[in-house]
Amino acid sequence: MLSLQNVTKLYGTVIGVNDVSAELRQGVHGLLGPNGAGKTTLLGLITGQLRPTIGSVNVFGKAPFGNRRILSRIGYCPAADLTERNATPREWVTYLMRLSGFDIAEAPRRAARALDEVGLGEACTRPLSTLSKGMRQRAKLAGAFAHDPDLLVLDEPFDGLDPVARHDLVNLVRTWAQTRSLIVASHLLHEVEALRADLAVILGGRLVANGTAGEIRELVDALPTEVKFKTSSVEKLAQIACTAGVVETLHMPDEDTLVIGTRQAGLLADMVAKAVDDGLVVHEVIAEDRTLEGIFSRLMKLHRGVEQ
Amino acid sequence: MKDSPQIADAHDLSQSHPPEENWFAAIRTVTGFQLNRLMTRPRLAMGLVGALFPAAVMFAVMRTAPINRDMTVAMIYVLIPEALCVLGLLVTMCPVVADELERGTWIHVAVRPRGRQSLLLGTFAAAVIWTGGVSLVALMLTLLISQPTQPIGLVVMFTILIGMSCVGRAALFALPAVILPKRALIASVGVALVVEYFAGLLPAVVNQVTVSLRLRSLLVEWMEWRNDLPIEMTLFVDNYSAPVQILAVCILVFILLTTAGFILNRRQFPPSVEN
Repeated sequence: MLSLQNVTKLYGTVIGVNDVSAELRQGVHGLLGPNGAGKTTLLGLITGQLRPTIGSVNVFGKAPFGNRRILSRIGYCPAADLTERNATPREWVTYLMRLSGFDIAEAPRRAARALDEVGLGEACTRPLSTLSKGMRQRAKLAGAFAHDPDLLVLDEPFDGLDPVARHDLVNLVRTWAQTRSLIVASHLLHEVEALRADLAVILGGRLVANGTAGEIRELVDALPTEVKFKTSSVEKLAQIACTAGVVETLHMPDEDTLVIGTRQAGLLADMVAKAVDDGLVVHEVIAEDRTLEGIFSRLMKLHRGVEQ
Repeated sequence: MKDSPQIADAHDLSQSHPPEENWFAAIRTVTGFQLNRLMTRPRLAMGLVGALFPAAVMFAVMRTAPINRDMTVAMIYVLIPEALCVLGLLVTMCPVVADELERGTWIHVAVRPRGRQSLLLGTFAAAVIWTGGVSLVALMLTLLISQPTQPIGLVVMFTILIGMSCVGRAALFALPAVILPKRALIASVGVALVVEYFAGLLPAVVNQVTVSLRLRSLLVEWMEWRNDLPIEMTLFVDNYSAPVQILAVCILVFILLTTAGFILNRRQFPPSVEN
């Protein structure tokens, strides 16, 4: 369905996407990365809004940039808010359907149906400027799939939605993806996991990992975890840890701090707890950031070869 | 919200994939949408001021001194096809891309097949209709104030001149609008001053590609002023017949719009610009 071959996109001297290669088959794919990682640029390349500086992008076997046949098979819901003021959701989605080539009778039918499906049936005659951000988000989503594309590309689609609406739209999108393809970009792992998507992690414009959510977690879990100890007995703690054989890396940034890298964090914790019971004084224990940002950071280090 | 499985029924819709060629319908849709955007109170107020402005100037001049028919025609020409049309198009045509980027709607339109061309040509048509409409109202009011002899002939002549001015200048402003969307207004003012009012008055080959030369020449032709012009003034008008002048504007419009469309099709906006 989608083929990226050594794709690089430069904005002058700024790199948007850096040497990305991937082959995606029909199905659900999540593009995960922090803000500024290059997700929107990559989606711009996939949806034919940007042309790669180096490399090639093929969607359904053809380069999408300026290709009307390919564009007609893609639906795109961008991340940026819709600030069209006067139009109602019905007018807006009908307008998009007309631009997609549907006739004057079919376009409003499709718009009404799509708006109904995203839960905007009753609010579809109110001006967009009077709607909440979540409702505008739904209007954008309706505009993206009302023409029944073969590939739906969503950039931060659940941004601004309340939990109930988020749950409903996840179900809606998941059902969509049963018969067609879906690419969802997000900086929230749980959003993408909820869609049961294969994941691609992008950082600094580079694709640093891809696979199922389980595979990504395994990859992250396989990396050594760094635990920082503040203690007045740095040498003694280091000796205990090394004797127990749980140490991957060890360093002392200052005279009362010890940083231990381990793949057996649980064992290290038990061992330190026992040492404290035996009289070792530990003032502070700081485990490494296990949030998504932390995982991104570790994947980046892994990608650069800092951690092995 | 309805149960999500309904989305799978989308295949049931009668027209599963849109027809390949429905370009004019898309342009018409954009035109209607853009005209709807112009129907806001501030824009309507701006249009009203624009429509009243030439009549107000004419009224002020007539109170100062009586003016003959030729002078009235010359003033209407300067105030409406040359000034009001240009000002109206600066407001309506220049933001063709910038407005979409600002509203966050560019990407929605650009991702549609032929969305970019439809946006350009639809906005072009809307700008011409809006500015032309305001200019025609201004023409009627000005003629009402000045009450020249044979007003019907003047209405017909100025309607054609207004139409040609709007079409020609809108196409001219389409170029800076797609090349420099964020600076389109400044660039278009520059283009208007340099191309239309400076190069257009140069007695050289360069003035052949300006709309102002064609409009002046048509005015001189239709008002039968050619034989009365001082010899030095004949340098500022063209000797070809009216159909040739109109054809020249049409060719110019075609070239400018084709070039603008070609550029717009290749424009790429980084996400930071879109946001």
